[in-house]
Amino acid sequence: MLSRKVGAAAVAALALGAAGGLAVAAAVGGSPNVPVPPDKGAALGRLASVATTDSNTEPASTASFEPQPIPGRMLGPEVPVPVSPSMLDAQNGWLASDGKSLVAVYAGAAGNDPSVGRVVIVRQDLVAGRQTVQTVDAAETGNLTIASAPLGTSAETLVQTATIRLRTADGRALTLDLATDGLGSG
Amino acid sequence: MRAVAVATALAAAPGCCSAAAAAAPAPVSAWYMYGSSASDLKSYAYAHGCDFASGQPETSLRILLLDFGAARKLSSSTWGAVDFSNTMFSNADILAALKRAADGYHDCHVRGAVDIVYGNSNYHLSDSGMSTTDAWYAGYHQSERSEDLHEYQSSHGYDSQTSDAAADMEPSWDGRSMTKQLVNGDQGQGWALYYDYGSADGCPQSGNDGACNNGWSVSDVGYVSFHGLALPLPEIYYTANANQWTVVRRWWDANHGDDYFFEGVTASTGVGLTPAAAWNTLNSLNAGLVDSELVCIGC
Repeated sequence: MLSRKVGAAAVAALALGAAGGLAVAAAVGGSPNVPVPPDKGAALGRLASVATTDSNTEPASTASFEPQPIPGRMLGPEVPVPVSPSMLDAQNGWLASDGKSLVAVYAGAAGNDPSVGRVVIVRQDLVAGRQTVQTVDAAETGNLTIASAPLGTSAETLVQTATIRLRTADGRALTLDLATDGLGSG
Repeated sequence: MRAVAVATALAAAPGCCSAAAAAAPAPVSAWYMYGSSASDLKSYAYAHGCDFASGQPETSLRILLLDFGAARKLSSSTWGAVDFSNTMFSNADILAALKRAADGYHDCHVRGAVDIVYGNSNYHLSDSGMSTTDAWYAGYHQSERSEDLHEYQSSHGYDSQTSDAAADMEPSWDGRSMTKQLVNGDQGQGWALYYDYGSADGCPQSGNDGACNNGWSVSDVGYVSFHGLALPLPEIYYTANANQWTVVRRWWDANHGDDYFFEGVTASTGVGLTPAAAWNTLNSLNAGLVDSELVCIGC
């Protein structure tokens, strides 16, 4: 496939020699030439000019990492949900961090099937900079809502092992064990 | 004659115009930003930049997407975002974090190049009290901060880096008129490409037009993903998503003189399609029109 970088380089090179107003063609993915819209040409050309090595060989100054925990808190509808509605129709969420690890749990229904209760778990290793996203489905329970979860500073040490209590659409209780990502009856 | 010359020049360019590759690119990580302070945000961004660089799979330019949450107007003259921990961050805070991501990428650089992208979303812009003018300025300042980041990259000799902007634009999260202003504001500032890593929620899966969720139509999704400096980097979690975005592409091609293409795919773990399958599915429906980028949340 013609990469964006090579394709944009071709665009940039040709734009220099082309008359104004000519729609410069660039192959995208090896298909018949797809003209690059003029309003995107310059920005795409910029991508093509990026090198693969830095002229600066010195490391940046590294600031000390002093983790600040986030006490356990519920996340209501005013808090942005990172997960697309196509994955999760979210009802509410919960978040806690000990400053080095973070876990956020979002409860609702599967975006592609509202009869399926779903929980999405976002975990971050804040030191290493890594993130995982896990979905756990509860079969046909309808919307799940977080009914209770550890709150406050005591929750900071439970990011790996907390138990989250959930409620189904018809009022039944479930539990989510963050140690196993397993759902059980409440 | 010129068109022939163009085609000939392209054919001669290294790597040009080869047969369309069927294989999905290796995925690169994207991150949701949570932070209880600006200092934390910087620390986490540095770690993400370093992790990205350490694991960069090949020598091409790849997108490092940092999602800072929902765009917000914080005061009469300050824009920024509310992140996923419900902490407000100004664009100055976000720029500082983006600079640390650039530092982290530089310090851990192994191969390739990067486009560090300031991401936000259209989550409940109206409900937060923003006007369409405010949303325009949100997009404007997002692009402006992206340009500021590039100035930082250039002045620090980070030649393997550039910067752009992005938004997770979901029909279900706010109205079409409000959301379009993010794209318009970005275009008004003029620096940043504006990757749409959102969805075509509720849009039809066949044909080339129709209604989507929340009063949007296929044409509105087309607008926020391809108007001005916008480029689609759509969420493809299920086959239905690929079908919907194909309809968007068909609508654009039927109603515009320029041809729609995809900058790549945004995938995730824990959904119906693996990242590779997500890219391959969209590419199978839009042969040769999906660039070799695969951003993965959770990978």
